[in-house]
Amino acid sequence: MRTTFRPVLTTLTRHRGVVGSMVVGESDGIIVEAALHVGVAGDVVAALAASLYRKARRSSSAAGFGAVGFLTLEAEHGRLCVIGRGGLVLVAVADRSANVGLLRADMVGALEALA
Amino acid sequence: MSDDVRRWSEELARDPGSRVFLQLGELLRRRGDLPTARRVALRGLERHAHDAEAHDLLARVYADLGEGERARDEWEMTLAILPTHQGALRGVAFLLFAEGRLDEAEEYLARAVAQPQADDATRAALARVREAAAAARESVGPLAATALTDGRYLFADILGDGEHTAVLLNAEGQVLAGEYVLQDGRDIAAAVAAELCGVSEEARRAMRHLGLGAWQAVVFETDVARMAMAPAPQECVTLVAAHRETAPGFVRRTLDRAADRAAAWLGGGR
Repeated sequence: MRTTFRPVLTTLTRHRGVVGSMVVGESDGIIVEAALHVGVAGDVVAALAASLYRKARRSSSAAGFGAVGFLTLEAEHGRLCVIGRGGLVLVAVADRSANVGLLRADMVGALEALA
Repeated sequence: MSDDVRRWSEELARDPGSRVFLQLGELLRRRGDLPTARRVALRGLERHAHDAEAHDLLARVYADLGEGERARDEWEMTLAILPTHQGALRGVAFLLFAEGRLDEAEEYLARAVAQPQADDATRAALARVREAAAAARESVGPLAATALTDGRYLFADILGDGEHTAVLLNAEGQVLAGEYVLQDGRDIAAAVAAELCGVSEEARRAMRHLGLGAWQAVVFETDVARMAMAPAPQECVTLVAAHRETAPGFVRRTLDRAADRAAAWLGGGR
């Protein structure tokens, strides 16, 4: 079943270097909707991205920095980009060729779709 | 779309020659909608080609996009129109500082401070750059002499103005080097480190399962700050915190330099 998130996911997946995007429940890490290239372990990525975002959000709040916005985890062979609102997180999985500035702009712009 | 964005967009639609594009572009920039902010600034410049504030706006957008060279061009254009423009003088200084060109950065900040409208932040930035330049001149090898004996100053010559800070944490979230001093003089490094070290643990855990190789950085924005973390030897973590309005590319670059410094200090390469 396709949800209202499909246009957002389609836009993100068209970015250079993006191999998957998904909307995930922040508290349980379960995929709500995903657009993934073949070979991307969606369930694993979803659980870990939600967990990382949740940890950042709680830590930031405890440290007095307020709510967390856009988050990236950079690694040798790729990166995760995550942003959340209203108990959902939007996740993009990308290789190193992705333009993070453009990806961030689209993910920030898509926040309203999560609310 | 917020009320302000809608109101200013409508005003601009009614009167394309209005200077309200400056407020609109700045609001979009602060929200991180950089492509739209750039478009607004460029369209504004079509009608206000000799407006220093318009060039300054575009420069800030480019800086946020990590396009330092273009940002520098726009700020230089701003200064050609208005040689005392505080934002442009500070902007160019920060770009030079980020490139390690401390003496040139000092010249721009000194020009800014010489103006009656200079604020405390600019004066503090000049003091910090002069301190860093002096430390660099007296440096012994890769680290300043003071940094070798007092870890609090390990990142002193790397940091920008007073609203940037860097801290080195061990695996238990304890501060090994650096400081995080608020305007009231309180050092909150230990408290922040204790809360945020869990994020790096989570990154490490995620990497074991994702098959993306070793983690290199976690960067996130909060309501008040931009935070960036990178792994250091011995399971330590380098943390850089900057004001929310600091350009993300500048924060990332500062993190790289701080992480290299931390690795050297700990006695191992990154």
